[in-house]
Amino acid sequence: MENIIEISNLTKIYSELKAVDDLSFNVKEGEILGLLGPNGSGKSTTMNCLLSLIKYNEGTIKIFGKKMSPDSYDIKAKIGVVFQDVAVFEELSVYDNIDYFCGLYIKDKKTRAEYVEDAIKLVGLEDYKKFYPKKLSGGLLRRLNIACGIAHKPKLILLDEPTVAVDPQSRNNILDGIKKLRDEGATIIYTTHYMEEVEILCDRVIIIDKGKLLASGTTDELKKLARIEEKITIEVGKVDEKYIDIIKSWDSVEKVSLNANLLVITYSEGKNNLGNIMDYLNKEKIKYNKVYSERPTLNDVFLELTGKELRD
Amino acid sequence: MNIFKTVLKILNKNKFIVILYSVILISFGGINMSSNETVDNFVATKPDIYIINNDVNKGITKNLIKYLSDNCNIVKLKDNEEAINDALFYRDANYIIYIPQGFREDFLSGKVDEIEIKSSGDYQSSFAGMILERYIKVAASFQGISDNEDDIIKGINETLSKKAKVNVVSKLDTSGMNRATVYYNFASYSILACLVYIICLILSSFKKPEIQRRTTISSSNYKSINRKLLASNSMLSVILWAVYVIVSFILIGSTMSSKHGAIYILNLLVFTICATTIAFFIGNLVNNKEAISGIVNVIALGSSFLCGAFVPMEYLPEGVLKAAHVLPSYYFIKSNEIVKTMEAVDSDALKPVFENMGILLIFSLLFVVLTNVVSRKKACS
Repeated sequence: MENIIEISNLTKIYSELKAVDDLSFNVKEGEILGLLGPNGSGKSTTMNCLLSLIKYNEGTIKIFGKKMSPDSYDIKAKIGVVFQDVAVFEELSVYDNIDYFCGLYIKDKKTRAEYVEDAIKLVGLEDYKKFYPKKLSGGLLRRLNIACGIAHKPKLILLDEPTVAVDPQSRNNILDGIKKLRDEGATIIYTTHYMEEVEILCDRVIIIDKGKLLASGTTDELKKLARIEEKITIEVGKVDEKYIDIIKSWDSVEKVSLNANLLVITYSEGKNNLGNIMDYLNKEKIKYNKVYSERPTLNDVFLELTGKELRD
Repeated sequence: MNIFKTVLKILNKNKFIVILYSVILISFGGINMSSNETVDNFVATKPDIYIINNDVNKGITKNLIKYLSDNCNIVKLKDNEEAINDALFYRDANYIIYIPQGFREDFLSGKVDEIEIKSSGDYQSSFAGMILERYIKVAASFQGISDNEDDIIKGINETLSKKAKVNVVSKLDTSGMNRATVYYNFASYSILACLVYIICLILSSFKKPEIQRRTTISSSNYKSINRKLLASNSMLSVILWAVYVIVSFILIGSTMSSKHGAIYILNLLVFTICATTIAFFIGNLVNNKEAISGIVNVIALGSSFLCGAFVPMEYLPEGVLKAAHVLPSYYFIKSNEIVKTMEAVDSDALKPVFENMGILLIFSLLFVVLTNVVSRKKACS
């Protein structure tokens, strides 16, 4: 598949801070690429460089095979952006807001009217066309924000945390909308803090921290990087340190931690791990309550790669 | 068209405040004009004087006192220096005249004694001084012509009673022109303040950082967006100009239908164009709605004070007027002042007015260029 975005050796320095450090990655046509990183990792700076909203110090950015610059209006015509901050006119109704922003790209009235209706349908705002933003809930407002960004049917869409502070119904609606956009042929870059959204939506994930690329691949490929096969969490009573040392010495155990009453054991490979730990706890008469066994999440991958939680 | 529609919708949402603001400012223009009604007839004033006559009340001395009484108000004071000084201080009297002993006798013998005076130092006292000096000079010219005191007095009185008739031949409707000038000068405040307020209000919606960012990443060129925004706001400016002109016809009347009136109207149109570009430039710099009122005060009130919108230009210090040369309002008001005294409306008389209009248009162009520079910088920052 053709590369829609090609970023090579991108570097952006603010005074003495390297916000983006020699970052290179590509985005292929038709894929949803998840861009992950904690606050201050350089995600927004990368997005701003990509859109030529800020100047960068080194590197090249090509979109649709052409070098991106502030005057690349032909490239901009094919891009739709949904920023985290809601950007709508308070004085305009839902329909007029979408119509205005669509009008920045589409001059033909008839085509625009069709596109606006499609966008309203996509985000499920059919019943709110005449509402003003002040009358909308947080979730509906975010849906409007998305509709304003994608109404002109762009080929490349950049979504920056579109589901922050959104109710579950709106979130599902937004995620369904994004899938539809991908199905219609759009290429999407999606930044979020919500791991489950990345796992549901993204074909490929890039993890960056301190402006550097830490890892990239599919979610399964990334999980393999973390060398975690299974994570078992057990609510326990008092556990002596010697038992923990014994568990740590087992071949397949990668890490053991005891925080408050939670004993967390991560395994690098897994065959009957749950049965073995239960047998051991019973044998040593260690009391336990609830037991959870789960596959590693992207957050575990992130923790493994950076030593910190994604939301830190 | 989409931008025009959005501007109208934003205006519609703020219509109450926009209409209220415009009505108040245009009304101020009318009130200001009414409170500056010009005087078209004159009555000579009489200074308040007090005469202390140390001479005999006969002949030339008596005639001097009579002349002063006819041309001045004689006030009654206690005949002591303290009372006289108090009267001068409190302006109960403007001028005290001490006629020396032997004034008459010395005059008849060909000598004019020096008359001692005390003055409050104001313009009324100067006027009293002129009346006294006039009498003494005329009387001195008759000394030696005749030995008969009565003949001398007769000659003095005949000379002093001669009056010249003055006819004002100007065809200018000075009253109407003055009213029009005051009204249109005030427009440099009301039009500028109104436009800065309304255009900043409209642009504050367009220039909200989030919306600005969304606009910047769109495929619409910032210059094209600025052009459309300026055109949309210009429609509003034309409406405001038209309302201001219509009100001037109602308040001033026939003067506005003359050639002079047409120049006032044209000058205001050019100033309105300039004010629109100024407001547009400020609107591009400022994103905060709360800051608009403060900006209106600084820009509109400041420039109007400096350029003579409230206080006539002739009363402003030279230094202030020199500084005002950098402000567009100065050229607008200066043109109005030229029109006020323009006897004939011909190309020679209109030349300085058109030059000032040209300067206003250059200012407009400058502000459009500056706006594009600011937009470009904001888009890339």
